[in-house]
Amino acid sequence: MMKNIFLGLALLYGPVNGQIKKTLPAYLDLQPVVFSMSMVMMHDVVNPPAASRFYSYAVLSAYEIVSQNNSTLHSLSTLLKDYTPVKITKNNKTYNYRIAAVYAVLETGKRMLPSGFMLQEQEDAYLKTLSKNNIAASTITASVAVANLVAGSMVAYAKADGYSKLSARLRYTPVKGDAYWYPTPPAYIEAVEPNWKTIRPMLIDSCNQFICAPPVTFSKDSSSNFFKLAKEVYDISNRSTPAQIQVASFWDCNPFIVNTSGHMAIGFKKISPGGHWMNITGIAAKKAGLSFDNAVLLHAMVSLALVDAFIVCWDEKYRSNRIRPESYINKYIDLHWQPLLQTPPFPEYTSGHSVISTAAAEVLSYFLGDHFSYTDNSEELFEIPARTFPSFREAAAEAAISRLYGGIHFRDAIENGQRQGKALGKWMVEKMRVHLKPIGG
Amino acid sequence: MRFNITTATLLLLFAIPAIAQQKLFQLLPPGQTNIHFSNDISESESLNVLSYEYFYNGGGVAVGDINNDGLPDLFFTGNMKANKLYLNLGNMQFKDITKDACSELPGRAGGWKTGVTMADVNGDGLMDIYVCYSGKVGEELRRNQLFINKGNLKFTEEAKAYGLDDKSYSTQAAFFDYDNDGDLDMFLLNHSTKKIDNMEFAKFRNDIDELAGDKLYENNGNHFTDVSVRAGIRQNPMTFGLGIAIADVNKDGWQDIYVSNDYNEPDYLYINNHDGTFTDQSQQRLRHLSQFSMGVDIADFNNDGLPDIMSLDMLPEDNRRQKLLQLQENYESFALMQSQDLYKQYMRNMLQLNNGDGTFSEIGRLAGVSATDWSWCPLFADFDNDGFKDLFISNGYLRDYTNKDFLRYWGDYKVKKAVDREPALLMDLVKAMPSTTLPNYIFKNNHDLTFSNKQIDWGLSTPGISSGAVYADLDNDGDLDLVINNINEVASVYKNQSREQDAGNYVAVKLSGRAGNTNAIGAKVYLYTNGNMQYQEVNPNRGYLSCISTVLNFGLGTQKNIDSLKIIWPDGSTQLTANLTVNQKIIIQQKDVPQPVKTAPENAVKPLFTKSSALLDYKSEVSNQNDFKRQLLMLFMYSKTGPVIARADVNKDGLEDMFISGDNTQAAKIYIQQRDGHFVAQEGFSGGNENECTVAAAVFFDANGDGFPDLYIAKGGYSLWEANTHSLQDELYLNDGKGNFSLSEEALPDVSASSKSCVRPCDIDGDGDLDLFVGGRIIPGKYPLAPKSYLLINDGKGKFTVADMPFSNIGMVTDAQWIDINKDGRKDLVLCGELMPIKIFINTTSGFADKTGEYFSEPTNGFWFTLNIADVDGDGNEDLIAGNLGLNSPFKISEKEPAEMYYADFDGNGSIDPFFNCYVQGKSYPFVSRDELNEQIYPMRRKFSSYKNYADAGMKEIFTPDELAKASVLTASEERTVCFLNRGGKFVKSLLPLQAQFSVVTKILAKDFTHDGKIDLLLLGNHADNRLKIGSIDANYGCLLEGDGKGNFEYIPQPVSGFSVKGDVKSAEAITVGKEQYIVIGIAGSELIFYKQN
Repeated sequence: MMKNIFLGLALLYGPVNGQIKKTLPAYLDLQPVVFSMSMVMMHDVVNPPAASRFYSYAVLSAYEIVSQNNSTLHSLSTLLKDYTPVKITKNNKTYNYRIAAVYAVLETGKRMLPSGFMLQEQEDAYLKTLSKNNIAASTITASVAVANLVAGSMVAYAKADGYSKLSARLRYTPVKGDAYWYPTPPAYIEAVEPNWKTIRPMLIDSCNQFICAPPVTFSKDSSSNFFKLAKEVYDISNRSTPAQIQVASFWDCNPFIVNTSGHMAIGFKKISPGGHWMNITGIAAKKAGLSFDNAVLLHAMVSLALVDAFIVCWDEKYRSNRIRPESYINKYIDLHWQPLLQTPPFPEYTSGHSVISTAAAEVLSYFLGDHFSYTDNSEELFEIPARTFPSFREAAAEAAISRLYGGIHFRDAIENGQRQGKALGKWMVEKMRVHLKPIGG
Repeated sequence: MRFNITTATLLLLFAIPAIAQQKLFQLLPPGQTNIHFSNDISESESLNVLSYEYFYNGGGVAVGDINNDGLPDLFFTGNMKANKLYLNLGNMQFKDITKDACSELPGRAGGWKTGVTMADVNGDGLMDIYVCYSGKVGEELRRNQLFINKGNLKFTEEAKAYGLDDKSYSTQAAFFDYDNDGDLDMFLLNHSTKKIDNMEFAKFRNDIDELAGDKLYENNGNHFTDVSVRAGIRQNPMTFGLGIAIADVNKDGWQDIYVSNDYNEPDYLYINNHDGTFTDQSQQRLRHLSQFSMGVDIADFNNDGLPDIMSLDMLPEDNRRQKLLQLQENYESFALMQSQDLYKQYMRNMLQLNNGDGTFSEIGRLAGVSATDWSWCPLFADFDNDGFKDLFISNGYLRDYTNKDFLRYWGDYKVKKAVDREPALLMDLVKAMPSTTLPNYIFKNNHDLTFSNKQIDWGLSTPGISSGAVYADLDNDGDLDLVINNINEVASVYKNQSREQDAGNYVAVKLSGRAGNTNAIGAKVYLYTNGNMQYQEVNPNRGYLSCISTVLNFGLGTQKNIDSLKIIWPDGSTQLTANLTVNQKIIIQQKDVPQPVKTAPENAVKPLFTKSSALLDYKSEVSNQNDFKRQLLMLFMYSKTGPVIARADVNKDGLEDMFISGDNTQAAKIYIQQRDGHFVAQEGFSGGNENECTVAAAVFFDANGDGFPDLYIAKGGYSLWEANTHSLQDELYLNDGKGNFSLSEEALPDVSASSKSCVRPCDIDGDGDLDLFVGGRIIPGKYPLAPKSYLLINDGKGKFTVADMPFSNIGMVTDAQWIDINKDGRKDLVLCGELMPIKIFINTTSGFADKTGEYFSEPTNGFWFTLNIADVDGDGNEDLIAGNLGLNSPFKISEKEPAEMYYADFDGNGSIDPFFNCYVQGKSYPFVSRDELNEQIYPMRRKFSSYKNYADAGMKEIFTPDELAKASVLTASEERTVCFLNRGGKFVKSLLPLQAQFSVVTKILAKDFTHDGKIDLLLLGNHADNRLKIGSIDANYGCLLEGDGKGNFEYIPQPVSGFSVKGDVKSAEAITVGKEQYIVIGIAGSELIFYKQN
């Protein structure tokens, strides 16, 4: 089904001029491997919180292998709760831990993703690439064995995180009252992951460790603060600048945009917000010329931030159950208004992109510095030009405000989401600081 | 030997053609008919279904005699191709005279032609032709055309002069006399071309869209004026009119209009107000509608003289296509539709049976005609001349637009193209939609409200993509031939060989009306033969994009005599003709009637029951719990149990009083009957607070032996409650002897392990006090595990203890009765429930013994909702009457093809995974869709990678043998409501009339309602809160069955019984008020309904 991702991506995500200092062999590039997971997740229409979980366990597999071979990297067990690392035995001496790490990402994805079988093709292509690069067959075999071992152990660890119990929980029933979220046009998709807060977090203690300020109180009154928030969304959308539209589209990251035409509906797909930040991590790792081990470290730490950020955000979403701008504006301001972006199928507060982008930026800034400039071409796939940012935090700030331009969030959900993400990110950095040093630019 | 071989060879030689000849219809080759018309559609990057969503809706056919030679001629519209007019030369041969008749008749180049109508628009005795236009083209290309017949096979286009050059997006026009002024007016059916972005139709409902809204034109001396607004025609931009049928639906002498709308806009049933205006009464008369409605027909298919309505939708018949194409259930959008008054609409064909009292019972599933795939044109007509109208349905769509793999995975194509740096093409998308050709459907009327599929037997098995269609006796041989307009195929002409096969006699009737309405459109014809009646209305506007003949064909079967023919002309005058000869065409002139006589009103029967004003002030409110949020794979919701009614004379004043349960907004109350016949709520009583529990059953009985009725309230419900918590603990209230009740805190043991269904008091141990059976209905969150049922033993002072019994965990009990079956003086327990048999436990001195097998010769597993007992055959033994699912559900269940419910915690995540399976076309399939399966068991996302891969899966494909081995199975093999007659110690199943199977039966009253000394049955029910794929089951309006005292029952029509009960009946009691007998009925979300027995 999928063509060789490595080939396709070389064309698509070719090095942005001057972004690469020194190069690793292509087969040790994590970016295409992570992207191949994104492709499968797009196929399966994996929702944003679930996507963060899949990315994370996959890159943690790689981290596990690398950390057992690099004494500067502390074991995951020092960070993660209830995690017991699988011991890679000495018999596996002939393996190449870097190759095993790359392969483990694919293998973990293959075992966990609904259409993980699609990654078989990538694995086969990867092994071919290795042979072409004159890696000894025995090394390949041993590395694959290690990858399988670690992937198996990681999947077992993942199994206990509460994900499989989600289907046994009560699904979201719209809360009665004007203030609350209700499925939105055009497909009125049922609320996504209303019980996500029950998922075992990675670093934080619980989903409600970073409870943010409550949202502005709902009101229909045109003099109320809430009405003003809605009016702001409405006004911005009515006179949005091309630049704002660019920003909104760049950070849309909606995994499933339903386009209806009569009886027909087509789903257009994009990479989820978490997937976007995983790709940014790959871009930054390359630009920084990180060693393979450090690239794995960076991916792993960003992924942890993403998982926990989604958990705290989703906890808040189903605590406040707040109405989306589209529903409010249609009801109280303009019957015919439509947001620039399609409203995602879950409650509004806080803005997920604001929380997760801010948290990810904190982690990236810790490892690569406060003024790490890079060019993000992740969205070229969707015909949206690349954007250059002076720092991760500025990128995150843009991701946050893009939701206002896109007409899918109120300002307080964005700003409080940023605060929530910042607090979480800083806390995570403190936790990481104990064991892990910044990599530097 | 030699002789034998020859005979065998001969037999072989003749056998094949003989079989071919047996088919009712023979498809005639174009070479024979000279009809080569084909509605060819060419798709391109700029012109395709994505640019114009009605690109595959096809063309129409009109049939009419343009030269008055007695032979019906044909006109076809081509969307992109030239229209064709074919002159009938006789012997099924036709001549293309399009260009000779009028140079404009082929239609405007670049225009998009849709429906066609033949009518004598100017009333000059010559058939004119009206062609509709639509499409994403400029408005001048869209103006409809009127071809006036000038005689001698010549036509001129005069739409503008008549005021009918309308530029709306038109589907079809119907000519009829809406104001009874003697000329033909026109209803123009239009459709929107706007992209539907959302469902918030409240936004647009009151807008007027000049180009999309339907229009009514009044004829004033051959000039037509748009009177839509004045007439009350809906014209909002969400109108997607695809079907129109005209008929006098309520038989008041004025023409009514049915408009079927695609998408979320509901269909309209415009009832004529006799003053030039119409009122849409679809919601008053119909309980639910087809959602993506296409064509429509109105005709009397059960020969009761009342016009019935058939509207089409797009539900496939087979499991595979259902799994591939059926939309995902979305309760929020359904709720949104309800909140915006878009009514209950479901994706399937609807057959609305006219009950004659202003209501219709939708019985499409019972009749077997609800799923015919993407369907366009329904036509009721007696194709086999047996005296009952059969049903033809055309279907087909060029591409499987709603294929779910396409929806979900086509997006990959775009990403892939981007990765490969290739442009994405619209035509790639169009071509990516699979194309499936299917045969049209034809059903034979079984004379009992049901139909049988005759696609193969009658020779309609050729697959294709069909659109508009007509029937007409093209060769005047007495049977109805079929003409079908196809996409990308030559039009089909099917010759009916009924007459050749000597299948039945016929008579054809051609009415000749007065000038202005020369074809007597709107006239009604009744044909009486040997106690039977057939009814037809002259109304060629029916089906889809098409217009049938104005000649009425009546099949007579073996009848050789017609008793009489009654015509009610459009002006209301009646004409009776007797002594007609069969097998001929009769032409009847209206002017032959000397004096117009107004129809005498039909003898009004005094109904057996009359709805009375409410004797007490009560309305139940329903809270919108969605049980499927808790357990996605259940079939029905269990939260709604009220209103619950219990009755007793609580204050011993000789008048019956009532307990009525409350809801979130009001407390349960005891209503005391007053001397004036009204009921007044008693002050001070509080019990069963519905904000903390759900009252599921209640009974008055003397718990403490003081001679006064006490009150037991059983708790039930589903969505909000947990087992073993206070909300499921039942309550006993003691009567102080004055009718005041107070809670007896210590009276009951812990009975909170299940949600309950019924309470049945009985002195089971002969100690003089009343013990109780309390039925367990469900364990909230754990459907379909068997909940606990209780036997509560009374200590004589009103304190109860639980006795363990063999039926403690018998199943999901819905009802029970105590009868002394073996006449040993001890009452035995009969109980029933969901997905379980009716069980009989004999009460012996050493305990209860399951003796079910001794009383039933076969298992009776069903959905049983209620159980009543009465001696219906007067033999001194109590018989059982048990309410079931009925035959009007999507599930076809029988002993040979039972339904099965597999359940286990398959994925070990702590939730019960119930999988309902039932037979579809001979094989048992799970009811669950791929989306639902993936939601219920996450690992299934890995098992079935696409909808296609899942489409044919059975339980064995979904689960491994090991997994299946740990599953438990419940079954149902009987879905009918039945009467079990106690005959010599065995319960013998006795079938009830088909009307008893129209809906779920939840309450049964057995009593002599007809004053003949024999027990009659009143069946009440309906069940609206079901999975959306099941939809609201609501065709029961109070089904009264008259007993003959021998165990047989006959249905009493609604106008005679007087019942018109709408909604889900949760309780019903026969009660005496003063000296009058009443039936009080509790309906979810409604006022209490009182019917007074006359």
